[in-house]
Amino acid sequence: MIKAQIQEVEKQEIESGGPERTRETVCFVPRMDIYERDGSIEVVADMPGVSEDAVDITLERDVLTIEGYVESEYPQRYGLTYAEYRVGDYQRRFTLPDQIDREEIDASMKDGVLRLHLPKAEPAAKKIAVKAG
Amino acid sequence: MSITDLIPWRRKEQSVPSRQAEEESIFALQRDMNRLFDDFFRSFGMMPWRGFEEPALAFSPQLDIVEDEDNIQVSAELPGMDRNDIDVSISNGTLTIRGEKQQEREDRGTNYFRRERTYGSFRRSVPLATEVDHDQAEATFKRGVLTVTLPKSAEAKKKRITIKAG
Repeated sequence: MIKAQIQEVEKQEIESGGPERTRETVCFVPRMDIYERDGSIEVVADMPGVSEDAVDITLERDVLTIEGYVESEYPQRYGLTYAEYRVGDYQRRFTLPDQIDREEIDASMKDGVLRLHLPKAEPAAKKIAVKAG
Repeated sequence: MSITDLIPWRRKEQSVPSRQAEEESIFALQRDMNRLFDDFFRSFGMMPWRGFEEPALAFSPQLDIVEDEDNIQVSAELPGMDRNDIDVSISNGTLTIRGEKQQEREDRGTNYFRRERTYGSFRRSVPLATEVDHDQAEATFKRGVLTVTLPKSAEAKKKRITIKAG
């Protein structure tokens, strides 16, 4: 049972089947917390090894794509003695609901943790009063 | 009486059906029920005594170790941790990395959709096969990755012997 739990914490490699990648490294799905607080959605993603300027966040139609690139950490002369985790890029996609204000999305990166702030827009739907005839 | 009853060891086996009796008792039923509940909760990644709010997975960082002729480098992925919450020590030829990843402040109005990140205290120990120079050891924490560089001691370094032409 303990073994099963430890395996769950391991990095999850991205499922194949999508478009092929142009980089030769492996790609992982970052572990995330997603929660709603004070009328906005907060996304917190663990992407250790990714620097602030190596994150790409793109919004195309309703699909938000988060990508983080890791530079190889070890100089060539080092040989790997023991490995539990592998180094690789990160990628994850989401479909945003309509209420999210696309213009106000905000992102920050610190100590390998990406934070996305997705505020909800004012409800656009207009209520139509029905007059008595 | 069959012929097998005459053989002493065979007769003994049949006259002590203790295991069968236990199987049918109320304890066996209780044990089966416990097992059923445990299996049920385990499939959701939670155990009944843990409480539903707590993440079921413990935080334990994974380590990579690389080495070259002069150094051993141990790295651990610790995203979101504060540099001051990590403790690195070497004693008796063992490198120990300890720390606690604090759970973020949680308001009552927070509504979680996904919880995949883990928190908690951890301790990882690595026995070092080669002797290292304690005083020259260095640790850096950058982009959520801790890297400990341990220079090998002079005795531990490989000595290359050149072969002279005879």
